[in-house]
Amino acid sequence: MLYYLLTCRSLTIAQKASKVLKGAGMPAALVRTPLGVSKEGCGYSLRVRERYLDGALASLRASELPPVRVFAELENGRYEERRP
Amino acid sequence: MTYLDSAATTLQKPKTVAAAMARAVGELGSPGRGGHPYAMAAAETAFRCREAAAELFGLDSPERVVFTSSATHGLNIAVRSLAGPGSRAVISGYEHNSVVRPLRAAGAETDVAASPLFRPEEAVAAFRKKLEKKTDLVILNHVSNVFGYILPAEQIAQMCRERGIPFVLDASQSAGTVPVDVGKLGAAYVAMPGHKGLYGPQGTGLLLCGKDADPAPLLCGGTGSSSISEEMPPFLPDRLEAGTHNMPGIAGLLAGLEFVKENGPEDILAYERELAAAMAAELRKIPGVTVFASEHMYCQGGVLSFLVDGVSSEKVGEELGRRGVAVRAGLHCAPLAHRTAGTLPDGTVRASVSAFTRPRDIRALAGAVRAAAAG
Repeated sequence: MLYYLLTCRSLTIAQKASKVLKGAGMPAALVRTPLGVSKEGCGYSLRVRERYLDGALASLRASELPPVRVFAELENGRYEERRP
Repeated sequence: MTYLDSAATTLQKPKTVAAAMARAVGELGSPGRGGHPYAMAAAETAFRCREAAAELFGLDSPERVVFTSSATHGLNIAVRSLAGPGSRAVISGYEHNSVVRPLRAAGAETDVAASPLFRPEEAVAAFRKKLEKKTDLVILNHVSNVFGYILPAEQIAQMCRERGIPFVLDASQSAGTVPVDVGKLGAAYVAMPGHKGLYGPQGTGLLLCGKDADPAPLLCGGTGSSSISEEMPPFLPDRLEAGTHNMPGIAGLLAGLEFVKENGPEDILAYERELAAAMAAELRKIPGVTVFASEHMYCQGGVLSFLVDGVSSEKVGEELGRRGVAVRAGLHCAPLAHRTAGTLPDGTVRASVSAFTRPRDIRALAGAVRAAAAG
Protein backbone atom coordinates (compact mmCIF):
# COMPACT_ATOMS: atom_id res chain seq x y z
CA MET A 1 0.00 0.00 0.00
CA LEU A 2 1.43 3.36 -0.98
CA TYR A 3 1.47 6.21 1.47
CA TYR A 4 2.15 9.89 0.98
CA LEU A 5 3.69 12.30 3.38
CA LEU A 6 2.35 15.86 3.39
CA THR A 7 4.79 18.05 5.27
CA CYS A 8 3.34 20.93 7.26
CA ARG A 9 4.70 24.31 8.26
CA SER A 10 4.22 23.67 11.96
CA LEU A 11 2.88 21.18 14.45
CA THR A 12 -0.22 23.29 15.03
CA ILE A 13 -0.92 23.55 11.29
CA ALA A 14 -0.42 19.79 10.99
CA GLN A 15 -2.93 19.25 13.81
CA LYS A 16 -5.40 21.61 12.19
CA ALA A 17 -4.94 19.91 8.81
CA SER A 18 -5.36 16.48 10.39
CA LYS A 19 -8.66 17.58 11.87
CA VAL A 20 -9.84 18.89 8.49
CA LEU A 21 -9.05 15.58 6.81
CA LYS A 22 -10.62 13.49 9.54
CA GLY A 23 -13.73 15.67 9.31
CA ALA A 24 -13.84 14.93 5.59
CA GLY A 25 -13.57 11.19 6.22
CA MET A 26 -9.94 10.91 5.14
CA PRO A 27 -7.78 9.24 7.76
CA ALA A 28 -4.44 10.97 8.24
CA ALA A 29 -1.79 10.09 10.78
CA LEU A 30 0.12 12.94 12.37
CA VAL A 31 3.78 11.92 12.33
CA ARG A 32 7.17 13.45 12.91
CA THR A 33 8.72 14.37 9.57
CA PRO A 34 11.59 11.94 8.97
CA LEU A 35 15.08 13.37 8.89
CA GLY A 36 16.26 13.88 5.35
CA VAL A 37 12.79 14.80 4.20
CA SER A 38 12.49 18.04 6.08
CA LYS A 39 14.91 20.65 4.80
CA GLU A 40 14.07 22.89 7.72
CA GLY A 41 14.82 20.31 10.42
CA CYS A 42 12.21 19.19 12.97
CA GLY A 43 8.67 19.20 11.74
CA TYR A 44 5.43 17.30 11.43
CA SER A 45 3.61 15.75 8.52
CA LEU A 46 0.40 14.00 7.69
CA ARG A 47 0.67 10.46 6.37
CA VAL A 48 -2.19 9.56 4.04
CA ARG A 49 -2.97 6.59 1.85
CA GLU A 50 -2.64 7.01 -1.89
CA ARG A 51 -6.36 6.69 -2.47
CA TYR A 52 -6.96 9.79 -0.35
CA LEU A 53 -4.12 11.91 -1.75
CA ASP A 54 -6.04 13.96 -4.33
CA GLY A 55 -8.97 14.51 -2.00
CA ALA A 56 -6.67 15.43 0.86
CA LEU A 57 -4.76 17.97 -1.23
CA ALA A 58 -7.98 19.53 -2.50
CA SER A 59 -9.43 19.64 0.97
CA LEU A 60 -6.31 21.20 2.49
CA ARG A 61 -6.05 23.80 -0.26
CA ALA A 62 -9.69 24.72 0.25
CA SER A 63 -8.97 25.16 3.95
CA GLU A 64 -5.91 27.30 3.21
CA LEU A 65 -3.68 24.66 4.74
CA PRO A 66 -1.71 23.43 1.74
CA PRO A 67 1.19 21.13 2.56
CA VAL A 68 4.67 22.55 2.21
CA ARG A 69 5.86 19.52 0.25
CA VAL A 70 4.51 16.13 -0.78
CA PHE A 71 6.51 12.91 -0.72
CA ALA A 72 5.70 9.40 -1.84
CA GLU A 73 6.83 6.81 0.68
CA LEU A 74 8.63 4.18 -1.38
CA GLU A 75 8.77 0.47 -0.60
CA ASN A 76 12.47 0.68 0.21
CA GLY A 77 11.67 3.18 2.97
CA ARG A 78 12.93 6.17 1.02
CA TYR A 79 10.92 9.21 0.08
CA GLU A 80 10.47 10.76 -3.33
CA GLU A 81 9.15 14.27 -3.68
CA ARG A 82 6.05 14.74 -5.79
CA ARG A 83 4.66 17.97 -7.04
CA PRO A 84 1.70 18.89 -4.78
CA MET B 1 -11.08 31.67 55.49
CA THR B 2 -13.34 33.68 53.20
CA TYR B 3 -11.61 34.25 49.90
CA LEU B 4 -12.46 37.50 48.11
CA ASP B 5 -9.30 38.06 46.08
CA SER B 6 -10.28 36.42 42.80
CA ALA B 7 -9.10 39.47 40.84
CA ALA B 8 -5.58 38.39 41.84
CA THR B 9 -6.17 34.66 41.37
CA THR B 10 -9.27 32.53 41.49
CA LEU B 11 -8.23 30.27 44.35
CA GLN B 12 -11.15 27.88 44.12
CA LYS B 13 -10.97 25.99 40.84
CA PRO B 14 -13.07 23.31 39.24
CA LYS B 15 -11.85 19.92 40.50
CA THR B 16 -11.03 18.96 36.92
CA VAL B 17 -8.19 21.50 36.87
CA ALA B 18 -6.03 19.85 39.53
CA ALA B 19 -6.88 16.40 38.13
CA ALA B 20 -5.80 17.42 34.62
CA MET B 21 -2.56 18.88 35.97
CA ALA B 22 -1.76 15.74 37.95
CA ARG B 23 -2.37 13.60 34.87
CA ALA B 24 -0.17 15.88 32.80
CA VAL B 25 2.76 15.49 35.18
CA GLY B 26 2.73 11.73 34.70
CA GLU B 27 1.54 11.38 31.14
CA LEU B 28 2.48 14.33 28.97
CA GLY B 29 5.81 14.93 27.27
CA SER B 30 6.70 18.05 25.30
CA PRO B 31 4.68 19.04 22.24
CA GLY B 32 6.76 19.36 19.10
CA ARG B 33 9.64 17.46 20.63
CA GLY B 34 9.12 14.02 19.22
CA GLY B 35 6.76 11.58 17.61
CA HIS B 36 6.40 9.24 20.58
CA PRO B 37 3.06 8.86 22.38
CA TYR B 38 3.95 11.18 25.27
CA ALA B 39 4.97 14.03 22.98
CA MET B 40 1.93 13.46 20.79
CA ALA B 41 -0.39 13.36 23.80
CA ALA B 42 1.06 16.69 24.91
CA ALA B 43 0.62 18.08 21.41
CA GLU B 44 -3.02 16.99 21.43
CA THR B 45 -3.66 18.65 24.80
CA ALA B 46 -1.99 21.88 23.66
CA PHE B 47 -4.00 21.88 20.45
CA ARG B 48 -7.27 21.27 22.27
CA CYS B 49 -6.46 24.16 24.59
CA ARG B 50 -5.75 26.45 21.62
CA GLU B 51 -8.99 25.36 19.96
CA ALA B 52 -11.03 25.93 23.12
CA ALA B 53 -9.58 29.43 23.51
CA ALA B 54 -10.05 30.23 19.81
CA GLU B 55 -13.69 29.21 20.03
CA LEU B 56 -14.32 31.18 23.22
CA PHE B 57 -12.64 34.34 21.97
CA GLY B 58 -13.69 34.55 18.34
CA LEU B 59 -10.56 33.40 16.54
CA ASP B 60 -10.85 31.13 13.52
CA SER B 61 -7.25 29.94 13.75
CA PRO B 62 -5.97 28.05 16.78
CA GLU B 63 -2.40 28.82 15.73
CA ARG B 64 -3.00 32.45 16.69
CA VAL B 65 -3.54 31.35 20.29
CA VAL B 66 -0.13 31.68 21.94
CA PHE B 67 0.71 30.24 25.36
CA THR B 68 2.32 32.71 27.73
CA SER B 69 3.18 32.62 31.40
CA SER B 70 0.81 35.48 32.27
CA ALA B 71 -1.10 38.41 30.82
CA THR B 72 1.96 40.53 31.60
CA HIS B 73 4.06 38.29 29.37
CA GLY B 74 1.55 38.70 26.53
CA LEU B 75 1.33 42.47 26.98
CA ASN B 76 5.12 42.72 26.86
CA ILE B 77 5.10 40.89 23.53
CA ALA B 78 2.38 43.22 22.21
CA VAL B 79 4.26 46.33 23.30
CA ARG B 80 7.55 45.04 21.93
CA SER B 81 5.84 44.31 18.62
CA LEU B 82 4.11 47.65 18.25
CA ALA B 83 6.04 50.28 20.20
CA GLY B 84 9.56 51.65 20.25
CA PRO B 85 11.38 54.87 21.00
CA GLY B 86 9.32 57.76 19.70
CA SER B 87 6.09 55.76 19.30
CA ARG B 88 2.94 57.31 20.70
CA ALA B 89 0.66 55.02 22.68
CA VAL B 90 -2.75 56.10 23.91
CA ILE B 91 -3.95 54.24 26.98
CA SER B 92 -6.87 54.52 29.36
CA GLY B 93 -6.56 55.97 32.82
CA TYR B 94 -7.12 52.53 34.32
CA GLU B 95 -4.08 50.65 33.03
CA HIS B 96 -2.06 48.27 35.13
CA ASN B 97 1.72 48.48 35.46
CA SER B 98 1.85 45.51 33.07
CA VAL B 99 1.07 48.09 30.37
CA VAL B 100 2.61 51.25 31.77
CA ARG B 101 6.03 49.75 32.50
CA PRO B 102 6.60 47.93 29.19
CA LEU B 103 5.67 51.13 27.33
CA ARG B 104 8.11 53.06 29.46
CA ALA B 105 10.82 50.45 28.88
CA ALA B 106 10.17 50.62 25.13
CA GLY B 107 10.77 54.38 25.18
CA ALA B 108 7.28 55.09 23.90
CA GLU B 109 5.42 58.30 24.61
CA THR B 110 2.36 57.39 26.67
CA ASP B 111 -0.69 59.61 26.45
CA VAL B 112 -3.46 58.86 28.95
CA ALA B 113 -7.07 59.23 27.79
CA ALA B 114 -8.31 59.84 31.31
CA SER B 115 -12.00 59.79 32.15
CA PRO B 116 -14.04 59.39 35.34
CA LEU B 117 -15.02 56.05 36.82
CA PHE B 118 -18.12 54.32 35.46
CA ARG B 119 -18.66 56.83 32.64
CA PRO B 120 -18.06 54.79 29.48
CA GLU B 121 -19.37 57.52 27.19
CA GLU B 122 -16.74 59.89 28.60
CA ALA B 123 -14.06 57.26 28.06
CA VAL B 124 -15.03 57.07 24.39
CA ALA B 125 -14.90 60.88 24.13
CA ALA B 126 -11.47 60.99 25.82
CA PHE B 127 -10.07 58.44 23.36
CA ARG B 128 -11.65 60.22 20.39
CA LYS B 129 -9.87 63.42 21.38
CA LYS B 130 -6.51 61.71 21.94
CA LEU B 131 -6.73 59.89 18.61
CA GLU B 132 -6.86 63.21 16.75
CA LYS B 133 -3.06 63.15 16.95
CA LYS B 134 -0.95 60.54 15.17
CA THR B 135 -1.09 57.39 17.27
CA ASP B 136 0.90 54.20 16.86
CA LEU B 137 -1.11 52.00 19.19
CA VAL B 138 -3.94 51.97 21.69
CA ILE B 139 -3.96 49.76 24.77
CA LEU B 140 -7.10 49.36 26.81
CA ASN B 141 -7.74 47.63 30.09
CA HIS B 142 -11.07 45.93 29.44
CA VAL B 143 -12.00 45.75 33.12
CA SER B 144 -10.18 47.71 35.79
CA ASN B 145 -8.48 45.38 38.24
CA VAL B 146 -9.06 47.98 40.96
CA PHE B 147 -12.66 49.06 40.41
CA GLY B 148 -14.19 46.39 38.19
CA TYR B 149 -15.14 49.14 35.74
CA ILE B 150 -15.88 47.66 32.32
CA LEU B 151 -14.47 50.04 29.75
CA PRO B 152 -16.19 50.38 26.36
CA ALA B 153 -13.82 48.16 24.37
CA GLU B 154 -16.06 47.74 21.32
CA GLN B 155 -16.43 51.48 20.70
CA ILE B 156 -12.75 52.23 21.28
CA ALA B 157 -11.71 49.31 19.08
CA GLN B 158 -14.02 50.60 16.37
CA MET B 159 -12.36 54.02 16.49
CA CYS B 160 -9.00 52.29 16.11
CA ARG B 161 -10.23 50.23 13.13
CA GLU B 162 -11.52 53.37 11.42
CA ARG B 163 -8.15 55.05 11.88
CA GLY B 164 -5.97 52.04 11.15
CA ILE B 165 -4.45 52.08 14.65
CA PRO B 166 -3.43 48.74 16.21
CA PHE B 167 -5.63 47.99 19.20
CA VAL B 168 -4.43 45.93 22.16
CA LEU B 169 -6.83 44.67 24.80
CA ASP B 170 -5.75 43.73 28.30
CA ALA B 171 -8.40 41.15 29.13
CA SER B 172 -6.91 40.22 32.49
CA GLN B 173 -10.13 40.79 34.40
CA SER B 174 -12.61 40.21 31.59
CA ALA B 175 -11.59 36.89 30.06
CA GLY B 176 -14.13 34.30 31.12
CA THR B 177 -16.85 36.77 32.04
CA VAL B 178 -17.20 39.79 29.73
CA PRO B 179 -17.44 38.69 26.09
CA VAL B 180 -14.21 39.15 24.12
CA ASP B 181 -14.30 38.55 20.37
CA VAL B 182 -10.92 39.16 18.77
CA GLY B 183 -12.35 39.00 15.25
CA LYS B 184 -15.13 41.50 15.88
CA LEU B 185 -12.83 43.85 17.78
CA GLY B 186 -10.25 43.68 15.01
CA ALA B 187 -7.66 43.67 17.79
CA ALA B 188 -3.98 43.29 17.04
CA TYR B 189 -3.46 41.48 20.35
CA VAL B 190 -5.54 40.39 23.31
CA ALA B 191 -3.64 39.31 26.41
CA MET B 192 -5.10 37.40 29.33
CA PRO B 193 -3.99 35.34 32.31
CA GLY B 194 -5.04 31.73 32.69
CA HIS B 195 -5.39 31.87 36.45
CA LYS B 196 -8.22 34.35 36.94
CA GLY B 197 -11.55 34.11 35.11
CA LEU B 198 -10.39 31.13 33.07
CA TYR B 199 -9.80 29.10 36.26
CA GLY B 200 -6.47 27.69 35.15
CA PRO B 201 -3.37 27.57 37.33
CA GLN B 202 -0.91 30.39 38.00
CA GLY B 203 1.89 30.59 35.48
CA THR B 204 -0.44 30.31 32.49
CA GLY B 205 -1.70 32.92 30.08
CA LEU B 206 -2.80 33.43 26.50
CA LEU B 207 -1.90 35.97 23.87
CA LEU B 208 -4.45 36.03 21.08
CA CYS B 209 -2.99 37.45 17.90
CA GLY B 210 -5.14 39.25 15.36
CA LYS B 211 -5.10 38.52 11.65
CA ASP B 212 -2.57 41.19 10.80
CA ALA B 213 -0.36 40.76 13.84
CA ASP B 214 3.36 40.70 13.10
CA PRO B 215 4.72 39.79 16.51
CA ALA B 216 8.26 40.22 17.74
CA PRO B 217 9.45 37.39 19.99
CA LEU B 218 10.30 38.26 23.55
CA LEU B 219 12.19 35.00 24.01
CA CYS B 220 14.21 33.16 21.40
CA GLY B 221 15.14 29.51 21.49
CA GLY B 222 14.03 26.05 20.54
CA THR B 223 10.55 25.60 19.14
CA GLY B 224 10.66 22.04 17.80
CA SER B 225 10.27 23.48 14.29
CA SER B 226 12.52 24.88 11.54
CA SER B 227 15.42 23.82 13.72
CA ILE B 228 18.06 24.32 11.06
CA SER B 229 17.48 28.07 11.14
CA GLU B 230 19.15 30.42 13.61
CA GLU B 231 16.13 32.70 13.38
CA MET B 232 12.86 32.22 15.19
CA PRO B 233 10.23 30.69 12.87
CA PRO B 234 8.10 33.32 11.15
CA PHE B 235 4.85 31.46 11.84
CA LEU B 236 2.59 31.34 14.87
CA PRO B 237 2.42 30.05 17.50
CA ASP B 238 6.04 28.85 17.26
CA ARG B 239 7.37 32.37 16.76
CA LEU B 240 6.32 33.30 20.29
CA GLU B 241 6.76 29.98 22.08
CA ALA B 242 10.47 29.35 22.58
CA GLY B 243 11.36 26.74 25.18
CA THR B 244 9.51 23.87 26.77
CA HIS B 245 5.80 24.33 27.29
CA ASN B 246 4.21 24.36 30.73
CA MET B 247 2.16 21.24 30.04
CA PRO B 248 0.65 20.79 33.51
CA GLY B 249 -0.39 24.43 33.29
CA ILE B 250 -1.81 24.08 29.80
CA ALA B 251 -3.72 20.92 30.78
CA GLY B 252 -5.15 22.78 33.78
CA LEU B 253 -6.01 25.78 31.65
CA LEU B 254 -7.84 23.54 29.19
CA ALA B 255 -9.94 22.17 32.07
CA GLY B 256 -10.61 25.74 33.20
CA LEU B 257 -11.67 26.81 29.71
CA GLU B 258 -14.03 23.84 29.54
CA PHE B 259 -15.55 24.92 32.86
CA VAL B 260 -16.09 28.45 31.54
CA LYS B 261 -17.59 27.15 28.30
CA GLU B 262 -19.89 24.80 30.17
CA ASN B 263 -21.14 27.50 32.53
CA GLY B 264 -21.17 30.33 29.99
CA PRO B 265 -19.23 33.59 30.48
CA GLU B 266 -22.44 35.62 30.44
CA ASP B 267 -23.96 33.55 33.23
CA ILE B 268 -20.77 33.73 35.27
CA LEU B 269 -20.72 37.52 34.83
CA ALA B 270 -24.38 37.79 35.83
CA TYR B 271 -23.70 35.77 38.97
CA GLU B 272 -20.61 37.79 39.87
CA ARG B 273 -22.52 41.03 39.31
CA GLU B 274 -25.26 39.84 41.60
CA LEU B 275 -22.67 39.16 44.29
CA ALA B 276 -20.91 42.49 43.71
CA ALA B 277 -24.23 44.33 43.93
CA ALA B 278 -24.98 42.57 47.22
CA MET B 279 -21.50 43.44 48.43
CA ALA B 280 -21.99 47.13 47.53
CA ALA B 281 -25.38 47.20 49.25
CA GLU B 282 -24.07 45.58 52.43
CA LEU B 283 -20.97 47.77 52.61
CA ARG B 284 -22.97 50.96 52.03
CA LYS B 285 -24.97 50.22 55.17
CA ILE B 286 -21.80 50.57 57.24
CA PRO B 287 -21.15 54.11 58.53
CA GLY B 288 -17.87 55.58 57.29
CA VAL B 289 -17.53 53.22 54.33
CA THR B 290 -17.26 54.62 50.80
CA VAL B 291 -18.02 52.16 48.02
CA PHE B 292 -16.97 52.55 44.39
CA ALA B 293 -19.77 50.96 42.40
CA SER B 294 -21.62 51.84 39.23
CA GLU B 295 -25.35 52.36 39.30
CA HIS B 296 -27.08 48.97 38.99
CA MET B 297 -23.59 47.53 38.26
CA TYR B 298 -24.26 48.21 34.57
CA CYS B 299 -20.61 48.71 33.67
CA GLN B 300 -18.96 46.72 36.45
CA GLY B 301 -17.85 43.14 36.91
CA GLY B 302 -17.20 41.19 40.08
CA VAL B 303 -14.57 43.57 41.49
CA LEU B 304 -15.33 46.29 43.97
CA SER B 305 -13.20 48.83 45.83
CA PHE B 306 -14.03 50.57 49.05
CA LEU B 307 -12.55 52.84 51.72
CA VAL B 308 -13.07 53.11 55.44
CA ASP B 309 -12.93 56.67 56.80
CA GLY B 310 -9.91 57.34 58.95
CA VAL B 311 -8.29 53.94 58.43
CA SER B 312 -5.64 53.30 55.77
CA SER B 313 -6.49 50.74 53.12
CA GLU B 314 -3.53 48.57 54.07
CA LYS B 315 -4.66 48.61 57.69
CA VAL B 316 -8.21 47.63 56.71
CA GLY B 317 -6.82 44.80 54.57
CA GLU B 318 -4.72 43.53 57.47
CA GLU B 319 -7.66 43.77 59.85
CA LEU B 320 -9.93 41.85 57.48
CA GLY B 321 -7.23 39.19 57.13
CA ARG B 322 -7.12 38.83 60.89
CA ARG B 323 -10.87 38.38 60.87
CA GLY B 324 -10.65 35.63 58.27
CA VAL B 325 -11.42 37.53 55.07
CA ALA B 326 -8.82 37.63 52.28
CA VAL B 327 -8.93 40.82 50.21
CA ARG B 328 -6.29 42.97 48.58
CA ALA B 329 -5.49 46.49 49.70
CA GLY B 330 -3.24 49.27 48.44
CA LEU B 331 -2.43 50.20 44.86
CA HIS B 332 -3.05 46.82 43.16
CA CYS B 333 -0.08 47.42 40.80
CA ALA B 334 -2.21 50.08 39.13
CA PRO B 335 -1.20 53.50 40.45
CA LEU B 336 -2.50 55.08 37.26
CA ALA B 337 -6.02 53.82 38.02
CA HIS B 338 -5.81 55.29 41.51
CA ARG B 339 -4.51 58.58 40.14
CA THR B 340 -7.44 58.69 37.72
CA ALA B 341 -9.98 57.87 40.43
CA GLY B 342 -8.39 60.16 43.02
CA THR B 343 -7.50 57.37 45.45
CA LEU B 344 -3.77 57.99 45.64
CA PRO B 345 -1.66 57.69 47.73
CA ASP B 346 -3.48 55.25 49.97
CA GLY B 347 -5.25 53.18 47.34
CA THR B 348 -8.35 51.19 48.17
CA VAL B 349 -9.48 47.91 49.65
CA ARG B 350 -10.58 45.54 46.90
CA ALA B 351 -12.93 42.61 47.23
CA SER B 352 -13.44 40.39 44.18
CA VAL B 353 -15.56 37.34 43.53
CA SER B 354 -15.65 34.32 41.25
CA ALA B 355 -18.07 31.62 40.20
CA PHE B 356 -17.20 29.85 43.46
CA THR B 357 -17.99 32.74 45.79
CA ARG B 358 -21.10 32.24 47.89
CA PRO B 359 -23.51 34.78 49.46
CA ARG B 360 -22.23 33.79 52.90
CA ASP B 361 -18.80 35.11 51.83
CA ILE B 362 -20.34 38.52 51.23
CA ARG B 363 -21.98 38.44 54.64
CA ALA B 364 -18.63 37.52 56.20
CA LEU B 365 -16.98 40.49 54.47
CA ALA B 366 -19.67 42.89 55.63
CA GLY B 367 -19.36 41.64 59.20
CA ALA B 368 -15.58 42.00 59.18
CA VAL B 369 -15.68 45.49 57.63
CA ARG B 370 -18.28 46.59 60.16
CA ALA B 371 -15.99 45.43 62.96
CA ALA B 372 -12.93 47.03 61.38
CA ALA B 373 -14.73 50.34 60.85
CA ALA B 374 -15.92 50.36 64.44
CA GLY B 375 -12.26 50.07 65.48
